[in-house]
This record gives sequence, structure tokens and C-alpha cells, in this order.
Amino acid sequence: MKKSISIIIGSAFLVTLFICNPAMAVNKTNVGCGLGTLLWQDHDSVASQVLAVTTNGTFGNQTFGITSGTLECDKPQALVKNEKLNIFVSENMDNLAKNLAQGSGEYLDTLAVLMEIPIDDRQHFRGKLQQNFSIIYTSNEINHIDVINNIEDIFSNI
Amino acid sequence: MKIPQQFFIFPVFCLAFLILSSNPGHIQAKEPTYLDTILQTAKKINLHNHTYWHTLIHYKKDLFGISSLIDDPNFFLACNGKTDPQAELLATIKSFFQESDDNKKHSMCRFIGRYYWIKEQLDIDPSQLPYPECERFEKILDQINPSSVSLIFPTSHINSPASMFGHTLLTIGTENNSKLLAHAINYAAFTDETFGPLFALKGLFGLYKGYYSILPYYSKLQEYRDVHHRDIWEYSLNFNKLEIRRLLMHIYELDSIFADYYFFDENCSYNLLFLLDAGRPSLNLTDQCGWWIIPLDSIRIIKLNNLVVEPAIYRPSKTTKINKISSLLSKKSQKMAMNISKGIMEPDLLKGMEFTIEEKRGICDLAAEHIQYQFTKKAISKEYYLDRFLKTLKIRSLFGETDANYYDIEAPPEPLKGHGSNLFSFGIGREHDLSFQEIRYRPAYHGLCDNDKGYKSGSQIIFANTVLRYYSSEKKITLENLDFIDILSLAPRNLFRPISWKIKTGLTRKPTLDGIDHSVFNLNPGGGLCYRNNFIGLFYFMAESDLNISGAFRKDFTAGIGGSIGLLKKPFEFWKLHLYIRDIYYGLGDQHNAVQATLLQNISLDTDMSLTIAISRFKDNDTYGTEAKLYWSTFF
Repeated sequence: MKKSISIIIGSAFLVTLFICNPAMAVNKTNVGCGLGTLLWQDHDSVASQVLAVTTNGTFGNQTFGITSGTLECDKPQALVKNEKLNIFVSENMDNLAKNLAQGSGEYLDTLAVLMEIPIDDRQHFRGKLQQNFSIIYTSNEINHIDVINNIEDIFSNI
Repeated sequence: MKIPQQFFIFPVFCLAFLILSSNPGHIQAKEPTYLDTILQTAKKINLHNHTYWHTLIHYKKDLFGISSLIDDPNFFLACNGKTDPQAELLATIKSFFQESDDNKKHSMCRFIGRYYWIKEQLDIDPSQLPYPECERFEKILDQINPSSVSLIFPTSHINSPASMFGHTLLTIGTENNSKLLAHAINYAAFTDETFGPLFALKGLFGLYKGYYSILPYYSKLQEYRDVHHRDIWEYSLNFNKLEIRRLLMHIYELDSIFADYYFFDENCSYNLLFLLDAGRPSLNLTDQCGWWIIPLDSIRIIKLNNLVVEPAIYRPSKTTKINKISSLLSKKSQKMAMNISKGIMEPDLLKGMEFTIEEKRGICDLAAEHIQYQFTKKAISKEYYLDRFLKTLKIRSLFGETDANYYDIEAPPEPLKGHGSNLFSFGIGREHDLSFQEIRYRPAYHGLCDNDKGYKSGSQIIFANTVLRYYSSEKKITLENLDFIDILSLAPRNLFRPISWKIKTGLTRKPTLDGIDHSVFNLNPGGGLCYRNNFIGLFYFMAESDLNISGAFRKDFTAGIGGSIGLLKKPFEFWKLHLYIRDIYYGLGDQHNAVQATLLQNISLDTDMSLTIAISRFKDNDTYGTEAKLYWSTFF
């Protein structure tokens, strides 16, 4: 009977795993700058969802763009001041690539917002980027600086 | 964890407070200062009893009186601030008048939500204070440029109904209208514990520290939508600018502050409610919760308080999107996309093939999504992923833009439109020759045969299902069931080839060898495959094992393996049928064989009301039995 009680208690604990899964994989700081770095996350099991919650503090991280970000990456030349753009591109390299190639999507729209492209010019902006996809994402090792610089080049060469 | 430097002066505050309060004579010695007058007013109007003060400090009544749910000593300026609202209030007011050479670390900045509220309540003249304004906070606010608040609810994980319990978070939308750039506010436990049972145990007893955190919404989307494949609902809340400002001031106060995390009540969903209460002082959401809170119920509370701006916005998960793209393609094109994804075909070749431009776009889009999917599953290496992904996109970029709305996915009924999470039912039935009455209470969540609206069909997540039965002839009440968990996921086979599975554990009444029913502990996991056919519905087969433990067994237990086959059909929207046959051979412990055939029919009378008819025929060794029951259920 003792055994069964311990099993009962054990399974009650098991239940708690499902409730408001309390810890999230958050804020991996070693995200790197290239493609395929953020997309991959530990998610094999319930236990691994528990991993990696950092207490960097609520404020003062890259979210608000008030620091230079946690990325140990070089800065692009032209849009160097646009910290929000740098961070956005570096952390969304994969989904942005997809949107660029498709010529539409939320990531592309956000890029336009951050680059302050006027609404009337966005259709042109999207088309131009799609046509030039292969000279923006030039290689598998490309990082966000090159992506931003390549985009910059396309529009400065018009 | 870093501890902000300013808190090393915390003991000094306490000491000062003790000296001041133990020496009432100090006031007589000189004219009352401006601070003294303010303190007097605060005492006179009992400001410390104000609901909003209790919201700001997270005070709640407990067995011993009032106590703050915050457990971090850095959050309190009075030594006994956790349990004494007045002491904390007076210490806070005094701290605003303290000189400091650093605005950022000054108490008015550190506890900015308290500051603005107290200043307004007591009409404090800012010119009397060393710092009337917090530069750092204003700068941050400027950067965020907040314009809206939304509550985000990621629904269940693919093939994991239990994750429906999941999580809620808030987002602060910015003026530039890009949702991806919104700031996602989370409350989460801080742990690196990876051993499941220990993690659960600690969580149950509040041994983890919970912190608020802010991340870009795109990071959370990546996590929930792309990696965990959860559809997401976004509920826009009707907060105005001032309310958003108050909310942000409160979260600023809670920076690096922890509260002990409890899975059931002081969890992620509950703690988000404090932020909303802080934003709109007339709300009191945190007092409207029961002894436990699941995320969906927290959304219900928010909706009941008229915070939600309709309609809720649906954001499909990556798998939902892949299924959509795939459904728009011919079988041949689907195959082509898979060939590209799996490296059987080079995307280049697509250029010369005889497909329409729309089909070519679709093939590339499906292939690109599928390559990403495989990578998040760790099924392919990073090198392979990058190579395939970029090659596919390069070809895709040649085919032009897809028509707007082409891939739009019709939103399913939103979760709040479904039945309530609590269930109460009353039933009558007959077992062998005995009549009985039954009552059932189930605090969560959704049964396989319950109305699917707002829930995932083919899913079941039942928690603490409790059934009491009364046999009128024997005048006896028995505990028929106490299912701790009863989860079933019937995921029809598709592109992703999911495995269907179940796990059930709890107390149940079973016949033992003496022929009498006894309450036994039962553990019953299983796994199998499920298929969907438009004509016959969902059908499945599962291999199962079953363990029963009770002193009533000769060897204290019986364990066996077997399987079940079943059919789930919805002839009409309001009518569901579930037929299954289960056969288990118990080879260990008390040996026997149990076969059961059951037909369940559920008729929805309303979203929150249903009628169920269950008929079972079973055979245990050589004993045959039949049970039939009819019950009426209400959800709330």
C-alpha cells in the first residue's frame, strides 16, 4: 500500500509539469550573427523547456535598444546608427530571408518600417529585394551586417 | 544574479526607520518638516489600506494576516514591509525625500509606480524632493513608444493537448505598428533543473524564484510558433496610454525582483494579472482567481472585466501554415516539394519544369517551410539546412510575389468560445442488476467527447476527474474514479506523421479476484496511430499497458499489456460518437484477461451543457457485465 501511495504522489507531481509550464527557454545570449543560429532551440522534452532562463533583468537588455545589444557582432557601415534594425535583422535572419525571396511577409514589412521606407514606396522596395535576393543572401556564412550592407547597396545604386 | 547596488543601503533605511519609530520624542524637538506633514496625512487617511497600494506591493490576505506575495527582500523598504503595509508605505514616502547623487538608483526611480501614485494621493510638492522625475524610465518609455497592450495565448503544442494549459504573456505594442517589434512580457520561474520529477516537486512547493522578463515578441513567436508549433491567439486589451504607462512603471519596479513560483496559483498567468491591476486601478483581477489558475481561465477573467477588444487575432503555427500551403498544391507538387526538402531533387530543376508559376511558388514555399521544420526538429544538420534553404529561396525569388491573402488561414473558433473548464455532472445508471446515481466534478479541462468548439479535436486533457456513485439498493457511496490525469491525443497521420498517445493515472474501481469491486491505483499509458477519413471519422489503434495496485489483489498488483481500437465520429456538429474495444492480458501479479467494449454518445445541448449516454459491455476472466448510464453535464 505504501508503494501505491508513493506512486500516487509521484503522478500528482507529474501533473504539475503540464500546468502553466513555468520556465521558458529565454534569451540565449550566444545567438551569433549568421543564419540558422536562433532557429534552433532545445525542445526535445518537457525537461529541456525548463532550461536556460536567464535573469538578465527585465529592463536594460537589447529589447529596448538602450544598450548596444548583447550581440558580439560587428556593425554595418551605413546604417550603423540604426541599432534596432541591426538587432532585428541579426535575430531574424532566416525568416527574413524567406520573406525576401517570397517578396512579402511580416518580416519584410518590419524591415521596411525599421528602414523608414515610406508606405508608397514599399511595393517597389519588396520587389527590388526579391529580384536581388541572390546578391543579398550571398552565402551560407553570411551575417546580418552583410545583409544590411547589401540591401543598402541595392538602393544606393539606383 | 546581480544585485543592484542601491540595495546595500537597504539595512540603513531599516535602521533609520526603527530609530525614528522608537523615539516618538523627536517631533517635539523641532517644527514638523514637510516630510512629517506628509507622513501624518498618510497615516490619517489610512493610505496603506488603499486597494491600489495592495496591488503595487502584491499584498494578499493569508492565514496569518496580510502578506506580500513578493519574496525578494529588495522589494521592501521597511524591514517588516512584507507583512506590514503601513510600515512599507511610510518607509517608501521617507525614501523619496532621501538625498542621493544618482537619480537612477534613487528610490523614486527604483519604485516609480509607488512614487507617482503616492505623490498624487498625498499631493506631494515635487519641488520639495531631490528628484521629481526618473530620467532613465522616461528615456526607456520614449524608446518603447508604447501604444497598446495585448494578451497572448499560445494554444496547445502539436500533439500535446496538455500544453494547452501552457502559458500566457503580455505584449506592449509600439507606435510603429510592427507587431514583431512589440515587447513581450513574461513571468517565468528561474531554474536550470532538468530532472523532471524534482522540477515538479520544487515547483509545487514554491522552491523556484519567478521573475518578470521582457523580450522582443519575435523571439517568443520563434519559440511558440516556429519551434513548438503552437497556434497563437492575440487578445487586444483596451488600455489607454496612461494605463500602459502605469503598467510599465510597475514592471520597472519589479525588475530583478523575485517571488516564489508556485505551479498552481502563483504562476505565470496569475502574476500577469498584477500588471494589469497596476495599469488600471479600478480592476482587481488578482482577487477574482480561485485556488488555482490555468491560463485560459485568466483570459476568461480578463474578458469578464471587459478588457478585451474583439475580435481576437489568430496567428497560425508553422505546422498549420505548412498544412495550408500543402493543401493548395497537387499531390505531384507536394511530392516535388518534399523531394527538394529531402535533397532528392535540386531546386534549380524546377525552373525548366512544366508547372504553372503559382505551383512553382507553392512548391518552393512548402519546401522552404519544411526544411526549416526539419531543422527545428534537429532532423538535419545546420550545414545541410543552410544549403537547402538558401538554394530553395534563391529559386523562389525568381517566381514573383504570391497574391495577397493566398495563404490566409481561416481562424478556428477562438478558445474562449468553447465550454468552461469546470465540469459538473449528474447521472443515473445501471450496473449488473444494481441502479446507481452518480455525480462528477472535473476542474479541468476537455474530454474527447466534449464539444470541440475552441478546442483541438481528438484531444483530451482531464485533470482530477472525481466521480462519486451511490447505489440506492445498498445505500452505499463509493468513489468510482479519481483520475489525476487522463490525457489522450489522437493526431491523424499527415505530413508530420504524428504518434497518437495516451496516459491515464488515478484511482478507479475494479473487480479483483474475490469478485468484488475495489478501489485500485491505476496507471495506463499507450501509443499508436490515428487516421482521418472524411466518411468514417477518426479511427485509431493503440498498444497499451496497464498497471493496477491494491491490497485487494492477491499479489498486491496486476500488470498487463494489450491494446485498443476505436472510432470517433461527429455525425453532426452537436453529436459525437466514440466507440472503442479494449483488450488487456494481465500476465504479472494477479493473472487475468479483461475485455471491454464501450459506446459513448455525447449530445451538446448548448456550449456549456451536454447529455451523455454510455453503454459498456465487459468481460473479466469469465465474468460478464454490462453497464449503462445517462448523464447531464454543465460546464462553468
